[in-house]
Amino acid sequence: MSHEPFETLAAVYAAGALDGDDLAQFEAHLPGCAECQAAVREAQDTLARAMLSARPQTPLPAVREALVRRVERTRGAGRRAWLTWAAATAVVAAVAAGFTATWVAVRYEARLGQMARETAAVKERLARNEAALQEQVALYRGAVELLRDPATRVVDLRGQGTAASASGRMIWNDAGGGHLFVAGLPPAPAGKTYALWTISGGTPRAAGLFGVDASGRSAHRIAPEVARGAVGVFAVTLEPEGGTPAPTGPIVLASK
Amino acid sequence: MGTPGGDLIRVMAAGDRDAFARFYDRYAPLVFPFVLRIVRDRADAADVLQDVFWEAWRGAAAYDSARGTPEAWIITRARTRAIDRVRAVRRRGETFVAPVDEATVGAPTPPGGDAAVRAEERQLVASALAQLSQAQREIIELAYYSGLTQREIAERLEQPLGTVKTRIRLALARLREAVTPT
Ligand SMILES: [Zn+2]
Repeated sequence: MSHEPFETLAAVYAAGALDGDDLAQFEAHLPGCAECQAAVREAQDTLARAMLSARPQTPLPAVREALVRRVERTRGAGRRAWLTWAAATAVVAAVAAGFTATWVAVRYEARLGQMARETAAVKERLARNEAALQEQVALYRGAVELLRDPATRVVDLRGQGTAASASGRMIWNDAGGGHLFVAGLPPAPAGKTYALWTISGGTPRAAGLFGVDASGRSAHRIAPEVARGAVGVFAVTLEPEGGTPAPTGPIVLASK
Repeated sequence: MGTPGGDLIRVMAAGDRDAFARFYDRYAPLVFPFVLRIVRDRADAADVLQDVFWEAWRGAAAYDSARGTPEAWIITRARTRAIDRVRAVRRRGETFVAPVDEATVGAPTPPGGDAAVRAEERQLVASALAQLSQAQREIIELAYYSGLTQREIAERLEQPLGTVKTRIRLALARLREAVTPT
């Protein structure tokens, strides 16, 4: 069979109208044919651009407001739940003493300088990317400030289970919240997200959801409101998207 | 090289709520007329829009720029959700929604529809589609807006299946010229 019929099928497939034997045949062919994959991508992009070319109309502000509220609720929205899960890991932590706060501060200040340079380089290229970097700069700056408080602790987290090679560092202040820096964590599978928990007295408290970038890194800010009382243990689990009130998934990172 | 939309999706995937707001502000005014064109009711269109952008927020981590543009990513969701909505409304029979395909091929619009929507009908037809011939536009609308398959289109238009397939391909080729900046 020549390839030409597939080129027609690719167009019909992209338009969402392929059915019957044609569909079965094309779906069997598509995974192994870069040409058809490109044709489908291009046709879908053409359709998208065409469909989005009508005169723009801003929907009612209520739609935006409802969405923004809903999105706000997806993070750090865990309710209190008391699971025996925590008992296994809830040992009151000895603060990891491998690094003094001052030494760590120097490291983060160096990183700050590097990020400022990156920011300058990116500025011309893309304003939005810059905004994302600026947010990261703000995050590092917050971490450095936190480190200047003598009450701030630096706690190392170790990879667990399948994420044994991952590592994390929590800069934590019982009054001021904290910053979690993670490296070596695989991107969460589709439909999943990483969840941070603070555990005190055997009780896990949701401390926010986060993803990692392509290189397995993440920097996650924990708001002061989350820091209520002395935290003993920090743990990261893999949870369904949107979070859960109490940890349910495997532990990927935990402090001692 | 990232696109602004792709960068927004990546930042969104990291849980950045501001990025979501920017993504919404950028794409909602473009997606809304498209959804409205399919569901033909403002309240339904608003519901669908909410579902689409909520899914975009939740599914941002799964976006793969190698598999398609941000525009294709969002419009594919919007199309699926909008067609689902039309079918659900028809099934429930709560509201009579004029089948989009009938309206576009010139059948009389039944009474009781949303007058404002009818009045805006012309503006809702994507401007790139307006550059197709009547027959080409019809076939793209039957497939893309009404969600009919090639066989259903062939029956509707009383044309051989092969002809329908070829016409879709030719219409897409013409559409590509229409959306390609010169
Ligand atoms: Zn092929």
